[in-house]
Amino acid sequence: MIGPTTLHVRSINHKNAPTEVREKAHLDPERATALMDALGGHLADENHDPTASETGCISVIPVSTCNRTEIYLEVTEGTDADALLRRGLAEVGADADIFFSEHATELQDLEAVRHLFAVSSGLESMMLGEPQISAQLKDAYRLARNHHEPGPGLLRAFQGAFRTGKRVRTETRISIGAVSVAFAAVELARKFFDKLCDHRAVLVGAGETGGLAARHFLQHDIGHLVVVNRSLENAELLAETLRTERKAALEKKAAKNSGGLLAPAPDIAGKCGKISVRPWNELTDALAEADVILSTTGATEPVILPEMVEAAVPRRKGKPLFLLDIAVPRDIHPDVGKIGNVFLFGMDDLDGIIQGNLAARAGQVPHAEGIIQEELKEFQTWLEDIDLRPTVAEFKAYLEGLKDKQVGFVRKKQSEEVAAAVDRSLQQFIKKVLGRSVSTLKSSQSREERERDLETLKRIFSSDEQD
Amino acid sequence: MIVLMSVFKVLMPMIYLVVWGTYLWLFYTDHPTARRLCTRFAVVAVMLHTACLVGRGIILGRLPMGAPAEFFCALSLAMLATYLVIEIRIKAKNTGFLVTGVSFIFVFVGSVFSTTTMEVSPFLEDPGFAGHAVAVLFAYTALSLSFLYALMYLVLNRQLMRHQFGLLFRRSPSLETLERMSIGAVKMGVPLLFASLCLGHLWMYDLADRVDADMASMLNPWDPKILISWVILLGYSAGLIGNRFFGWRGKRMNVMAVAAFIAVVGAMGLFYHFFPSFHDFRSSQPITTLSGFPETASHILAQCDGGHDR
Repeated sequence: MIGPTTLHVRSINHKNAPTEVREKAHLDPERATALMDALGGHLADENHDPTASETGCISVIPVSTCNRTEIYLEVTEGTDADALLRRGLAEVGADADIFFSEHATELQDLEAVRHLFAVSSGLESMMLGEPQISAQLKDAYRLARNHHEPGPGLLRAFQGAFRTGKRVRTETRISIGAVSVAFAAVELARKFFDKLCDHRAVLVGAGETGGLAARHFLQHDIGHLVVVNRSLENAELLAETLRTERKAALEKKAAKNSGGLLAPAPDIAGKCGKISVRPWNELTDALAEADVILSTTGATEPVILPEMVEAAVPRRKGKPLFLLDIAVPRDIHPDVGKIGNVFLFGMDDLDGIIQGNLAARAGQVPHAEGIIQEELKEFQTWLEDIDLRPTVAEFKAYLEGLKDKQVGFVRKKQSEEVAAAVDRSLQQFIKKVLGRSVSTLKSSQSREERERDLETLKRIFSSDEQD
Repeated sequence: MIVLMSVFKVLMPMIYLVVWGTYLWLFYTDHPTARRLCTRFAVVAVMLHTACLVGRGIILGRLPMGAPAEFFCALSLAMLATYLVIEIRIKAKNTGFLVTGVSFIFVFVGSVFSTTTMEVSPFLEDPGFAGHAVAVLFAYTALSLSFLYALMYLVLNRQLMRHQFGLLFRRSPSLETLERMSIGAVKMGVPLLFASLCLGHLWMYDLADRVDADMASMLNPWDPKILISWVILLGYSAGLIGNRFFGWRGKRMNVMAVAAFIAVVGAMGLFYHFFPSFHDFRSSQPITTLSGFPETASHILAQCDGGHDR
């Protein structure tokens, strides 16, 4: 129980549900908003004090990504959260039964918060430590916040989740190392070249896989990308698409950096990311001039032969040549790898790198769990004091009122300097009295004793009593 | 001061051990805390060690590089300081464990064996000698770092050739960075070696006017050690020119860097043992008394340190 409210989460994710179930459970932003309306999470009042609706729901935050759909719910104590959720889902036309089937897990209070922290840290992701989940959680939180003021429990839990995620990513290496083929290709290239910006890559083939790999290299600011394809027309088409995407990405980046104003592409555009096309018969020349070769054609026979590379190597003045064959069947003859200063890698190598990185990430899990535990402890501490806050606030307001009266009285009789000194002195006094009172309340032997003490304090100092 | 020096003698290896440990921690785990701390610890170690050597120089009244133990200590400082310059310039920290490890071994050896009684040449008491000796020390340290990085380049190159994606693959900088570090170290070493040779020549001619005829006759500009140093300077300069203008790079350049350093060490050893040189400051009898220099080191130290550590 979170004070007078309880937290619930119903989760359908890649661990407990197949893709078709996850598809059915998916909640797009419109449906998520409709669900919030249906469950009656209310807009905050003018004092930003969220109140429970008639249904007992204080707030709801649906999170839906390709690998998970989770509904976080904060309800008043004693409310049947399951019945409430079932009714709400049915109202918005979602398949409520899925959320109560064997594919869904249900967690409450601290377990729900622990789960949220783990999700935010990427520990629950399909690719351990992936960073996108953090942004997806923030989007879901923002959507909910625009709709209604989250209850104190969910507000604190989500803020804690964002902090935990950030800590896990900065204090551990859980997000380090490529776990996709395209990123592994870039990571491998980076073992040869410090700054890709100073280097030239040749993409052999203009298919879908080649385009994807090229995009990753462009994202990492490869200096110059040359597309070589049997069909020059297709090469031109891919190059044009990549140029357009690159320009849009750079403009977006520049706009982000300049605080939302659309700005011209940054200087880096002039230095990196040049994209050009060469005809197929110039492939050997392209090999001599490039540092990275990505081969992805659909050819059934090797298209890069040892004699082509042998002809290119002497023109490279000792610079290493990095060839990556991500085509099946292979595009590059295996004997190319035997040529001096030529490094040939294939899909098996990339898979080896990915597996190594995943194992390294798994080794970081205990450290990440330690951070989650620390943050959970802090949440628990906050939770333990949640019932004190309203009464302490009233007590503080009462003391502040008294202080203001006294200072006003002194100001009439004495100089401004004296009044300011009295104000400072009384401020210190209030701080000490409050500190002592809160620590006394916290040290109560039992819950009953604490409630009795709070009641006494409330009776003496509440605004009603003052009236 | 003497007590402080004694404390530092024990403290310095411990500080170097901490620095090495932090760099090792970084290499094995790439932990952000290790990343944050390692350079700071290294800077602190360099500052403390410099202060320690300056203090020791003041006490002895000479450059503290006469005894082998002193030389090892100075070498460890030079290695760490040179490494720090390269690390800060190239912004690659993952190779630090190698250099700081060697530095720790040198400072440890220097501290453990620093109690041997040894007479040193009064040359070391000449301020003119200090600039020359320090430049030589840093020059050869830079060249040895170039060797270490070239070696790392070749190891990583071999691993990539064999498609081995182990710890070195994950942690070491790129081949390009290692090559830049190796060449960067040579770029530091060559001017320092040139400066040290020039300073040495100037000092030698200056000294010739101040010493007696016997001593002056020993100060020979054709001294084998000087000659081999000029050859080394020319060799490394040729490497730099080849890299800059003739595209010498990659595996070939790094094999050359490794071979050059092995040749340097071999040649130095050969000349040291088989050719007489006035570059021997360990002689048990002072060669001669330099005119115009106060008698400081021997007597002060004998009183302070019970005759040890000279």
